[in-house]
Amino acid sequence: MSNPFDFSAIQPEHLTLAATGYGVVFFSLILLYFIFSIMPKVLDFRLKKQPDLEGHATHGAHHTPTQSGEVNAAIAMALSLYFSELHDQETAILTIKKAAKTYSPWNSKIYNVINFKGAQR
Amino acid sequence: MQGILRFFEYSGFANLTPGHILMVLIGLLFIYLAIRHEYEPLLLVPIGFGILIGNTPFLENAGLQLGIYEQGSVMNYLYQGVLKGIFPPLIFLGIGAMTDFSTLLSNPKLILLGAAAQIGIFLTYLGALVLGFGNPEAASIGIIGGADGPTAIFISSRLAPHLIGSIAIAAYSYMALVPVIQPPIMRLLTTPEERKIRMKPPRAVSKQEKVIFPIAGLLLTGFIAPGSLPLLGMLFFGNLLKESMVTKRLADTARNAMIDSVTIILGLTVGASTQATTFLTPQSILIFVLGALSFMISTAGGILFAKLMNRFLKGENKINPLIGAAGVSAVPDSARVAQTEGLKADPNNHLLMHAMAPNVAGVIGSAVAAGIMLSFLM
Repeated sequence: MSNPFDFSAIQPEHLTLAATGYGVVFFSLILLYFIFSIMPKVLDFRLKKQPDLEGHATHGAHHTPTQSGEVNAAIAMALSLYFSELHDQETAILTIKKAAKTYSPWNSKIYNVINFKGAQR
Repeated sequence: MQGILRFFEYSGFANLTPGHILMVLIGLLFIYLAIRHEYEPLLLVPIGFGILIGNTPFLENAGLQLGIYEQGSVMNYLYQGVLKGIFPPLIFLGIGAMTDFSTLLSNPKLILLGAAAQIGIFLTYLGALVLGFGNPEAASIGIIGGADGPTAIFISSRLAPHLIGSIAIAAYSYMALVPVIQPPIMRLLTTPEERKIRMKPPRAVSKQEKVIFPIAGLLLTGFIAPGSLPLLGMLFFGNLLKESMVTKRLADTARNAMIDSVTIILGLTVGASTQATTFLTPQSILIFVLGALSFMISTAGGILFAKLMNRFLKGENKINPLIGAAGVSAVPDSARVAQTEGLKADPNNHLLMHAMAPNVAGVIGSAVAAGIMLSFLM
């Protein structure tokens, strides 16, 4: 039985493709890593530079998006619970049903009454 | 009497082969796994049913225009979306519109895990060459290790259209089998102490960062690997629709109605493309073996790189190596597996959010890898 593995099939250009390809994947994602590592600092710096209403530079401590996930989750939960209580308007909408029927001579009570009287005569 | 005989000739019973029976059984297995065990049901149900459609026997080459490979048949028209590489970018648009990159932005070093896990693609490429596949075929097979169905379909539509069926089925099968394939590798390559590592909670990410990410990501990856533009362009565009908050309707359509419609047609036609007469070849079996290998190497690559990173990280910055396995881009299943394995080691250690970072980075990494393959081989 012949050997199904032919290692001589791998030529230098194949190795180049594999090595370069993997290297480029790493390189592009490393670049993304660097950009988004410095991004918060750049944005934070810009925010600190923005003057407040009185014209003073703000200190940015309350602007920085550094609250922990737990704090955000707690705030989101509280807001969700609060808003889920505000359902008065929704229920009102849901229970409103259109009572009046669109006018049509075919279902008009007046015509029916008149016709009935006419028939009696 | 002759009419009845002619009718029988055209029926499935007269044209049934063992190959059809085998493929129908595989289709039924897919449907069973999807419904009974909920393994990727959104993919396996359409693919499984597509396999049944594609392997219902009929008299081929009789001008009935029924088979997916017959010019003019309805299935053939639908299959053009796969063959011409139209569906994968549309799927990426939907994925972009439903993906939250916050965890990745809050801890950018986890992006590197998504890069490391792509090693399976390139090693399997070499493995496929050793097993006698040509250069373009080997590249298409290697992409299975990225565990990204649309990317695998996209690259094989360009490089090896005759292997689309096998490659797509292998890619989606392994994506569905993430909860089966990955845990043993994860346990093998990590110690109980490593599996208990707690990572610091991700910080909140500002809207500005979220809006800048798709734009910067596109320009950066697009300039480096233009071959990945159809996929990453749509991915980042979808994400901008979501994060800009001013195109809510478009984002909603992309992540719901559109991606669902495309998934239905893609799954069904990919399944139907496994017509026994063209699908059951020794090559298909080799592709399945190589695909599994590729997927396992990618998983191991992510985990080992996380361990390597831990050598240089201290204290709360350390990474739980289990999330390295999520570097393969089977979103979100591999992240879920990391969470499940983490909970087994420590019932209070939730890794899901952390694992989503390498998971989405893996999507970008595998698309970049596909782009590089295309640039080299087209």
